[in-house]
Amino acid sequence: MISMKILIIDDSGVMRRIHKNTLIENKIPEEALIEAADGKEALQLASKNEINLFLVDWNMPNLDGLSFVERIRNTERYKTTPIIMVTSEAAKYNVIQAITAGVTDYVVKPIQGTVLWDKISNYIKSE
Amino acid sequence: MKAKFINPFINASQRLFQEYMKLDVHAGKPFLLADPRNLKGVSAIIGLAGETTGAVVLTFSRETAIEMVSRLEGKKYVALGAEILDGVGEMINIIAGNAKKDLQDYKIVISLPGIITGNDYKINWPQGVPVISIPYESELGPFAINVSIKES
Repeated sequence: MISMKILIIDDSGVMRRIHKNTLIENKIPEEALIEAADGKEALQLASKNEINLFLVDWNMPNLDGLSFVERIRNTERYKTTPIIMVTSEAAKYNVIQAITAGVTDYVVKPIQGTVLWDKISNYIKSE
Repeated sequence: MKAKFINPFINASQRLFQEYMKLDVHAGKPFLLADPRNLKGVSAIIGLAGETTGAVVLTFSRETAIEMVSRLEGKKYVALGAEILDGVGEMINIIAGNAKKDLQDYKIVISLPGIITGNDYKINWPQGVPVISIPYESELGPFAINVSIKES
């Protein structure tokens, strides 16, 4: 039984559905998944819910993924919560920037569902 | 325009369409777009800033755009709706972001994608930079990636 909440943050609805389908195919219940279309919405949802894992895109309107990570890492509540950045930004300097900001893991889109799940499963708690 | 600026976009496109979407795609010979202002169908545009200036535009016919996003998401779409525009935007975002891997001599910032649809529209390309078009044939229809980029 998996008891956790995962926040999927991506401005593309197509991408959010692709990530959701990957998680559901791997037995994550749909009610464990929360979606946000940008960093600003994600901050609001993170304050109202206890999030156990963040999947966050980089390039988004209103508040981008990097700024979101910097802000959420400044809160006591989410100082150590796993954050996987799932982005098309493939340059090494982007990876360094994201890790410096506090992401736990970094994957470059496009990513096959099986490969993404391999990453995510490292952070899934079962009970 | 130098090949070092074009090849990263070809490589990124191959990765998306061939390796990820498992499409049979073939890149044709890149050519200078004679009239880069007039496009039709569905175009997704991303601006490049930082140590380069430019733009990258992915152009599909409406039918190919619908088929492409259906393949990307694994869900059948039949009409050109918001999901198709969103999916095409995500494709150009992936191509531009991935191309940065092969352009690491330059710090490049990519914009959010913009989408244009219609029968005859103009794109404001950067002044004085030629637009190179890379034509593609695919099992879902032809498409093109148009690149205009120079050092800032």
